[in-house]
Amino acid sequence: MRVSMKWLKQYINSNVGPEELAEILTSGGIEVGAVECLNKGFKDVYIGEIKAIHPHPDSDKLQVCLVQIDTKELTIVTGATNVLQGDKIPVAVPGAVLPGGKEIQPTELRGIPSNGMLCSDKELGIESVGLDRSKGGILILPSDAPVGKKLEDYLELDDHVLELELYPNRPDCLSMVNVAREVGTLLGVQPSLPEWAQGEVPVWPEDIKQKVEIENPDLSWRYAALLVDDVVIKPSPLWMQNRLRAAGIRPINNIVDITNYCMLEMGQPLHAFDRDKLNGTIRVRLASQGEKIVSLDGTERKLDSDMLVIADDRGPVAIAGVMGGLDSEVTDKTTKILFESAHFLGASIRRTSRKLGLRSESSSRFEKGVNPYWAVPTLGRVAELLIELEAGNPMSFTEKVCYLPPAVQIEVSLNRVNKVLGVDYTSQEIEKVLDALNFAYKQKQEDIFLVDIPSYRQDIKIEVDMIEEIARVIGYDRIPTTLPAGAQTGGRRTPEQAFRLKLRKTLIKCGMNEVVSYSFVKKESDQIWGSDRGNIPLLNPLREELGTMRTSLLPGLLEIASRNSARRNMDLLLFEIGSVYLPKELPLTALPEEVTRIAGLAQGGDKRHWLVPQAKYDFFYVKGILSEIAKESGVQFEYRRVEGSKYKTLLHPGRSAEIFIQGINIGVVGEIYPQLDQEWGLQRPVLFELDFAQLFKESNQTIIAKSYPRFPAIQRDLAVVVPKDIPAEKIQKRVFELGGELLKEVEIFDVYQGHPVPEGHKSLALTMRYQSAERTLKDEEVNALNSNILSGIQQEFGAEWRK
Amino acid sequence: MREEIQRIKEKTLAELEKVNLMEELQELKVKVMGKKGSLTSLLKQMGGLSPEERPIIGQVINEVRTQLEEAWENQARNLEKKALARRLEEERIDISLPGFYLPKGHQHPLSKVIEEIEDIFVGMGFTIAEGPEIETDYYNFEALNLPKDHPARDMQDTFFITEDILLRTQTSPVQVRTMQKMKPGLPVKIIAPGKVYRNDDDATHSPMFHQVEGLLVDKGVRMSDLKGILLYFSRQMFGESREIRLRPSFFPFTEPSAEVDVSCMLCGGEGCRLCKGTGWIEILGSGMVHPRVLESGGYNPNEVTGFAFGMGVERIAMLKYGIEDMRLLFDNDIRFLEQF
Repeated sequence: MRVSMKWLKQYINSNVGPEELAEILTSGGIEVGAVECLNKGFKDVYIGEIKAIHPHPDSDKLQVCLVQIDTKELTIVTGATNVLQGDKIPVAVPGAVLPGGKEIQPTELRGIPSNGMLCSDKELGIESVGLDRSKGGILILPSDAPVGKKLEDYLELDDHVLELELYPNRPDCLSMVNVAREVGTLLGVQPSLPEWAQGEVPVWPEDIKQKVEIENPDLSWRYAALLVDDVVIKPSPLWMQNRLRAAGIRPINNIVDITNYCMLEMGQPLHAFDRDKLNGTIRVRLASQGEKIVSLDGTERKLDSDMLVIADDRGPVAIAGVMGGLDSEVTDKTTKILFESAHFLGASIRRTSRKLGLRSESSSRFEKGVNPYWAVPTLGRVAELLIELEAGNPMSFTEKVCYLPPAVQIEVSLNRVNKVLGVDYTSQEIEKVLDALNFAYKQKQEDIFLVDIPSYRQDIKIEVDMIEEIARVIGYDRIPTTLPAGAQTGGRRTPEQAFRLKLRKTLIKCGMNEVVSYSFVKKESDQIWGSDRGNIPLLNPLREELGTMRTSLLPGLLEIASRNSARRNMDLLLFEIGSVYLPKELPLTALPEEVTRIAGLAQGGDKRHWLVPQAKYDFFYVKGILSEIAKESGVQFEYRRVEGSKYKTLLHPGRSAEIFIQGINIGVVGEIYPQLDQEWGLQRPVLFELDFAQLFKESNQTIIAKSYPRFPAIQRDLAVVVPKDIPAEKIQKRVFELGGELLKEVEIFDVYQGHPVPEGHKSLALTMRYQSAERTLKDEEVNALNSNILSGIQQEFGAEWRK
Repeated sequence: MREEIQRIKEKTLAELEKVNLMEELQELKVKVMGKKGSLTSLLKQMGGLSPEERPIIGQVINEVRTQLEEAWENQARNLEKKALARRLEEERIDISLPGFYLPKGHQHPLSKVIEEIEDIFVGMGFTIAEGPEIETDYYNFEALNLPKDHPARDMQDTFFITEDILLRTQTSPVQVRTMQKMKPGLPVKIIAPGKVYRNDDDATHSPMFHQVEGLLVDKGVRMSDLKGILLYFSRQMFGESREIRLRPSFFPFTEPSAEVDVSCMLCGGEGCRLCKGTGWIEILGSGMVHPRVLESGGYNPNEVTGFAFGMGVERIAMLKYGIEDMRLLFDNDIRFLEQF
């Protein structure tokens, strides 16, 4: 809502400035988005008349104008071609300034002195002013524009407009009269409002011929019509045009301007029908399926049975509350008019407007809610203006009222106000607020008020709504700062939340960088990497590639890695902890399962350093990170080659594994399948994805400290050559068994293939740690155990001792 | 014999001077004082001396022996010192070379801010609640006093999955879900961080973003308590000298409703580019829980009151870290992430 300060001050006697008022309104809960000066920065521009035009003797493109301003005559050279002798035009005289700071100087154009400049609307920063001929050239003002007057005064541009950004609860402030009330409340000034603004209902003779019927009283509570004869279509007076322009509405003609002007004053959308084009009874009804109407904008609209229309005996003449029909439009030839002032249910108008993709000033007001009590008073104001502007004679009136919301009375208890806000206001303070609001009230007791809510404040329905009114009028800054007095509670994270945080920190400790990606992804990528149960599509995605709820975190990580790689960030250790969305059935009939996953991606290697060889981010690097996760979770991960699952074609079959905890599959790790990486512009990334809930379920975070043995350990190394295909872990495990209870640890510290190890074989170096809790071990017994191990694996795996 | 002793002494002392290595020192010692050493052999010759001379010569030899041993020790210390000096010289490194590289991971700024907010509220006795991101129309709108076709629904552009299932546009549905779970228990004292979604995408809007919701329902909760809790939070988050101010606002699920501004952390309230000259920065929306929402949650609004608030994590992260474009937070460029 654009509020002109000049217009407002017609109702409010105060010299508050626009900036100051903006601040007061904003801190009172009516947010002012911007304060705009209507004059965009021009100075000393006058209305002139073109007395004569001559071609420039030395140029085809220029003309020399003799322009009269006041008593002075100026010679001005112009390149414009749209001006004629006798035109009234804006003239920037020498010394004038244009928006942007350009100063006008006397000059000479091809030998002819030019003392000023004729201006276009663009150069002056103004809109929808002047005759049609102004288009693309000099602004041509109406012929009655007073020569010599400052343009700023003529167009009333010495005004500021406050742009109100209204919340949906205050549609009442879409009316100048109600804005004045609000400003009055917050300034503590009584607004002086005319009678029609008090909701006074005029008395008209009823028209018995013009029948009005409402077939859907649930969707339209009231329909009133003012019938006007002897209509003369002409431009509206300048003052009305200036106000409409300030409000951002383009003046059209007196009738349309009156409907818009009254709508701005009272908030009630109006429509004017050419009465000669209407036939029979006016009906408010639902359209029948497939019914059609050509709306005012010239578009044919197909209607359905949910849409409310205004129809006469022949069919729809308007889409109720949204837009009129072209057939009954007011034209230059119109002599009889029916002004409609009605109530339509916001929800219905909202649906219709959405379905048709058609929004109008009227529809957006009805959507937010229009006060049905003011339908007739607004018509009274229309009648008054018709007479004042000599635009037509209001003859008679017809109306159908089906329902008016009952008057609202709210009991406000001082005690309750103070308890909810945490303040200690007095009855006198409440009275002062109610007076400022102009709400009528009675005192049931000293501290209990019975407040009558005026019909224009539809947002106030229950006591807390009044508590907010009291709080905001007195000012939120009067509310003190306290701490809750209730029972003390211990705040905490649930074990699951704490575990999630711990894993996040663990991965960060391992050098991984956390990323956050969108939960919606490209359908195709998710189908490749995600769940076999299908994925959930959005009905209205932002873009097609963000159209599907992810069932795996991997495509998002690949996408991020891809973007980084394209920017030459080749060395990546990324992880994400987030939800995936698994449908129980498709299309959804119930909420899907939301499952937290932990996924990672590694590519490249450590930063190269002079001190150590570069570590590659390969399968084993990632496996190392996973074992940190296992350690923090208090579980053992078991790795099994990927067989049979969809990962067979997504991950390198020789460099991937599914991860198990005690036989339960909780995730997967592996290098991407050859060539698949190129599709993403990546180089052999290693990926993993774990199911957080499963991991949490299996986790054991209890720590029971063990004391360390007092007797020294003995360490022995053993290197063996074994066939390449025997998994190292298998040998490691067997060694551990063979070593007996004194063997505490077996680690693989070297793996080697190539000369002199024979083809098809590998050399494994193991280190064994023997220890007893009761005594110091002897070399001989450890040697015996070691040879036992060696002969065992020689037999079982064909291992050869490498001395 | 005296001359001989004197000669051995001088010769040995002269040789000692020239010794550079510990091993040479040892050799020399053996040569002079070992079993077959020159001084030892003189001692053996003492038998041929007169009984008067014997003690005198013996004393002389012992004196020389002591002197030599002292000299040896001195020289040994010298040599050690020299060796140490040499070692220090040899082991000198180029300290300008870069130190060992310890790979370090980084927490995403959004999760970092969420963790910080959680810690502040956990410290005030709040627990952390969570709810589904794919929600029903009921929990996202209707239970929050936003019936179908309510114009306030236009404030949020919603992603739909079906007519009744959608991506939550706010973390507020967790309010009602938590109340329904806890009723009639008191107090309900939670924060609910999480992802939310709106159909919007530009420099200041992302189709997915994060909110932290807060809710306290109990007997006698006042709007002044809301102010107190939020002041404490703002000071923890943005610095001890911060002030807050409440402005009337509108949310369907709170009444009274308030927008909360914090005094500008850059200029301290004097007005600067960050706060657009106002001295204040809007950080969250809040209010007293609407009676209808308490009813949706299963509580009687005549018996309990509550406050609720909701803040945008992206906005707080941007303020805290001076991030100018929200899109950076979702771009996940490693050079950006490594700063946190």
